[in-house]
Amino acid sequence: MAKLRVLYETGEPERVIEFDPAQAPFQHDGQPGSILDVLLGHGVSLEHACGGNCACTTCHVIVKSGMAHLCENSETEDDLLDKAPGLTPTSRLGCQAIIDGGEVVVLIPRYTINQQV
Amino acid sequence: MSDLTTHAETETASAVPSRPQAVYEATIERIFAHTPDTRSFFLRLPDGRRLSFKPGQFISLLLPVAGETLTRPYSIASSPGEGNLLEICLNLVPAGPGSHCLFARGLGDVLRFTGPWGTFVLDQPPEAECVFIADGTGIAPIRPIIRHALASEQRSPLHLLYSAPREGDLLYREEWEAYARDYRRFTFEPLLSDPSGGWFGLCGPLVAYVERRYVSQDNDRSRYFYICGVGQQVTQLRDLLRRAGYQRRAVQYEKW
Repeated sequence: MAKLRVLYETGEPERVIEFDPAQAPFQHDGQPGSILDVLLGHGVSLEHACGGNCACTTCHVIVKSGMAHLCENSETEDDLLDKAPGLTPTSRLGCQAIIDGGEVVVLIPRYTINQQV
Repeated sequence: MSDLTTHAETETASAVPSRPQAVYEATIERIFAHTPDTRSFFLRLPDGRRLSFKPGQFISLLLPVAGETLTRPYSIASSPGEGNLLEICLNLVPAGPGSHCLFARGLGDVLRFTGPWGTFVLDQPPEAECVFIADGTGIAPIRPIIRHALASEQRSPLHLLYSAPREGDLLYREEWEAYARDYRRFTFEPLLSDPSGGWFGLCGPLVAYVERRYVSQDNDRSRYFYICGVGQQVTQLRDLLRRAGYQRRAVQYEKW
């Protein structure tokens, strides 16, 4: 079993999801077993304007702990994160960061980024 | 699995947007069939409203499919300020519930969407040559980008390399040919991967052609590339060009 704890910069109550990574995918968007997949599959919303196709940064999360339990960044993910305001050394795209077990804690930033109106 | 636990005991598992976005409604005013499985949908916002966006961005349609709402991105193929209609262009994906849902829609139907989104944009054309590489419906975001670049004061060369299976799959072809006639700095090069007998232009795999033209047979590494298409071919092109010595940030792409 794995645990995903979600904190919100907006102050919303945190959410804790316990899940079995071997059961992924939990729904249809994002990489199977990714933070986005786990959240949506357990009824917790996360923006994913591109449908979880690694084509935007609206599912940007900041990993507070458990980075070792996530897959490596791909070049495509890094290219997109480069364009994300509010980038941190532990930023990941929720649709790409696959959890392999253990406990991961992520912070959802206050602002949805890269919406350029 | 139903193992969601939460500190808010009364909270249900229904998804509550943590950062709600503006949801727009638009009416399908026109549908144009480019080919039997490729269509443009022209969307009108109510009350004469216009969506403010940058060339190259996309909108995310919220499509009701099988009792749930799918989020599916579609690049905007029209330009900002081009009337009140927003054009999206897509092909029917055999296993794609989003495109099937859209192709079942008709004139007057209302679509809901959020956006604009995306960072595949060209604010200011660079001083060096720009090469736009589009594969199939990947031409959609590149179309407004090229128009924007042509309208800018920058005079650097613009080249469109457009790959499609057959001649009839080259979308907006007349527009590209007109730009090539009207603008000396714009050149258009169609490449077919599955040409019919009457085709005398370029043909063959896109990646192999780009390798020959911009890597093995050319030493200039000052160009900028903007690539859009579907599938791994896009990242293959990215890797090819970056590894050949083009600057990382000079190779921009969007992979659908």
